[in-house]
Amino acid sequence: MDHSKQTQYSSNEKKDAGASSSVLNGHFDGMVKRPAGGTGRAAASQPPGAESSSHRPAASVMESWREERTRSVEDNEMSLPSLAAAYTTILRGLGEDPQRQGLLKTPWRAATAMQFFTKGYQEKIIDVLNDAIFDEDHDEMVIVKDIDMFSMCEHHLVPIFGRVHIGYLPNKRVLGLSKLARIVEIYSRRLQVQERLTKQIAVAITEALQPTGVGVVIEATHMCMVMRGVQKMNSKTVTSTMLGVFREDPKTRDEFLTLIRS
Amino acid sequence: MEYHNASAKNGAAAEYQNMCIESKHNDLHKEDSKDSKDSAGADKLAHIEKAYTTVLSELGEDVKREGLLRTPLRAAKAMQFLTKGYKETTQDILNDAIFDENHDEMVIVKDIDLFSLCEHHLVPFFGKAHIAYLPNKKVVGLSKLARIVEIYSRRLQVQERLTKQIASAISEALEPAGVAVVIEAVHMCMVMRGVQKMNASTVTSVMLGSFNDNSETRKEFLALTMRK
Repeated sequence: MDHSKQTQYSSNEKKDAGASSSVLNGHFDGMVKRPAGGTGRAAASQPPGAESSSHRPAASVMESWREERTRSVEDNEMSLPSLAAAYTTILRGLGEDPQRQGLLKTPWRAATAMQFFTKGYQEKIIDVLNDAIFDEDHDEMVIVKDIDMFSMCEHHLVPIFGRVHIGYLPNKRVLGLSKLARIVEIYSRRLQVQERLTKQIAVAITEALQPTGVGVVIEATHMCMVMRGVQKMNSKTVTSTMLGVFREDPKTRDEFLTLIRS
Repeated sequence: MEYHNASAKNGAAAEYQNMCIESKHNDLHKEDSKDSKDSAGADKLAHIEKAYTTVLSELGEDVKREGLLRTPLRAAKAMQFLTKGYKETTQDILNDAIFDENHDEMVIVKDIDLFSLCEHHLVPFFGKAHIAYLPNKKVVGLSKLARIVEIYSRRLQVQERLTKQIASAISEALEPAGVAVVIEAVHMCMVMRGVQKMNASTVTSVMLGSFNDNSETRKEFLALTMRK
């Protein structure tokens, strides 16, 4: 049931599928000039042959947990000088003087900060999850709510922050609770769009646990709307993804939404 | 190559630097003719845009994917908006809104939403500013206090300096008996990264004139603004 739900989802996202698969391609093209971190990426580029073809569209759509991009710590070190140079250009372009005392090391600090804000590209779901899936005869709803989330808007490179609420109905397998928060971290520490982030978290949990259902709700403030543009201080954006029985059964969905609100 | 282009702008940058440190040098920037300013502006935007394209590709992203196609331009424009305070001066906004009024009681404008950029990490910090002054025959239009906050906050800032610049600007413009500025802000560089403390906020204050000398005045101001 879950598989069919997934493919139904993924067929709706054919447009994204093209863009996302080129994401992985584009990423590898960009990294070709750095042979040092090659092995990790080569492994990630082959989708596991064992998976059925119904998973392939979902994988390419969602950059799912088997095909994570793998920026490495070495990549970070090697790109730091050009990142810092780019930030120096930005400072000059804004009319500031990069030589004044407060700004002397800013290009390096900003570059490292930006690498931290996109560290989700360095991590793989499979590393985070593999040892924390337990067989448990529990089939009631499990909710982890009010998970603080910080992301970067991919359109303006300005922070997004908010809270994530996750609920799932286990089907004989439960997940270590902090691993739900770690999944949020991996996907949120990237250049993101809130809709895609919500879906990626839900799909990752579905693929890892094959639960009866998953619900993810994200409530976030977008600095690109608050600090600039339309400048609405108090606006919040809420997105949700309901998979499996959360989607089909309104009572389950209601229970989840009531519990996260209390 | 970026450095060669950038060095030509140091002269202009130096003038902006003077402006951002001392509010006294308010009239320096007006020399540029409008035409040269426009083409120089477009030029700068192109440089910043190119720098953001480099940033995106160095972070491992694919600059050709749909969501990122125009991001360098949007990010460059966003950054220019967030630092638009460099081009504005207190004199421009205040000159016509100072009125002679025989009022010498405290005037407070509080809960002014404030958004700035940390100059160390280029990451936002935001919060509220509370401003009070004791007029000495001259009062200022109330929204002008908020506009002064805007001018100095839309820059690469340090919260301490921001507080002092706002206080000095009001002091110079109105020559009041006293000025007080309190800023309470959350710094994303502390929340999103580094020490990652979600609930920490930073409070800075500057007290000039009778707010500094007279503790009763200061107490009244703090009681009226810090009340939850």
